[in-house]
Order: sequence, then C-alpha cells, then structure tokens
Amino acid sequence: MDLAKYRALFLEEATEHLAEMSRACLALEKDPANGEALDLVFRLAHSIKGMAASLEYESITRLAHHLEDRMAAFRAQGAVDVPEGMALLFRGLEALERMLGALREHGACPPADEGLLEALAADRGSGKKA
Amino acid sequence: MKRVLIADDASFMRQMIRDIIEPEGFEVVGEASDGVEVVDKFRKLHPDVVMMDIVMPKRSGIDAVKAIRADAPAARIVMCSALGQEALVTEAIQAGARDFIVKPFKPEAVLTTLRKVVEKAD
Repeated sequence: MDLAKYRALFLEEATEHLAEMSRACLALEKDPANGEALDLVFRLAHSIKGMAASLEYESITRLAHHLEDRMAAFRAQGAVDVPEGMALLFRGLEALERMLGALREHGACPPADEGLLEALAADRGSGKKA
Repeated sequence: MKRVLIADDASFMRQMIRDIIEPEGFEVVGEASDGVEVVDKFRKLHPDVVMMDIVMPKRSGIDAVKAIRADAPAARIVMCSALGQEALVTEAIQAGARDFIVKPFKPEAVLTTLRKVVEKAD
C-alpha cells in the first residue's frame, strides 16, 4: 500500500469533511433540530472513521466513531442538546482539526483526548431535547 | 474480465478499492459518490458487480440496493460497511445485496468476497 499517497488523499478529503461539518454545526447552533445538518454531521463522521481506520490512525478513528455515535443519538432524539451537546460537538471538531494538523505536520497522530471521548460517550441517547 | 461499479462518498475509499481489485483482473467501469448516482450508473453501465457503501448522501445504500434490484433482480451487489453497522448490513442483505465487506478493508477479504459473488452468479 502506498501510504504517502493515501495519507495525502485522506488529509485532503478529511479536511473538506471537517469544513462541511463545521458549517453544519453552525446551522445546528441556530436550529438544533435541523434534520439535514444532523444527517450530514453523522455521515461525515462515519466517513472520516472509515478512512482513518483504513490507514490505522487509531486516535482519529476513535474520535470519529464517538462523534458518529453521539450524532446517531442526537438523530434518534430529533435534536442536539443545547448548550451541552453543541459544546461537545464543537470540542470534537476542534480536536479532529488538531489531529489532522499534527498528521499533516509530523506524519503521526497525537493520542486521543480520553476526557473528550468519555464526554461524548456519556448520557448518550438520554432523550434530553433542546 | 468482470466489470465493477464502485460507490462510496469518499474518493479515498473508491481509490483504495480500485487499487485492490484492478491488479487482480477486475475492470472498474465507473464510480459513484452518492446513492442516486449509483442507480443511474448501474442503468447505464450494466456492471457485473456493484461495490457499495451503506451510508451515502442523497439516497442510502439500502435504498439504492432496492432500486437496483427492482430494475435487475439478478444484480450482484457487495455492501461496504464499518464496524457497528451489523443491523444495516442485515437490512441490505434482506434488500438483495449478495455479501458484504467491512472497513478497514483487508485486500484478501475484498478479493475473496468479490470472487465468491462473481462465481455464485455465474
């Protein structure tokens, strides 16, 4: 496997996904029940998870998986919790951005923020609505 | 040479599948990046096999399987899934997909599944 080629492809596509996720999260900030934005963030987190797993970027895979699962819970309840859920999503996106930056700069991913992963996993599907 | 249509919203994943299967004698006749495009391209290209992601924009992989199978009941479709999507995989198989592979892809597993689906259909 040509890792350099795939890493460049991954960084390009994951960075585009992250920008789309950020725009969708801004839309969710205005309307936490925006179904299109809920679907988009879920799908893009899923996509980043699959790509990162293929390159064995474990910390990015774990974070994207937790974001995907959290988004699945928000979709199931029909809205993002405000303000806690929104704050968590933005923390997740910032962490992803840092990881992609480190990968671009140093060729390796930093370890995942375990506190963030725990927060994303906590109270999932609690049914709390905005 | 068996003709394959690849559908995944991530060009990264489409490239990875292409790199695994082309050197092994499969011809990639087209790529699609969403669930609407894969149905359109299936109708135009008549591939021997479709390799399709379950989670795609515009139309889910499961809906796309149903649409393709409604047009071509013998269509051979392999779903590309990820860990934690067992329920969706089951739904896709019930909708008519022949088999599935799980990300991260292991080249041998991809090729074994693809060959199995092709041979069964023949």
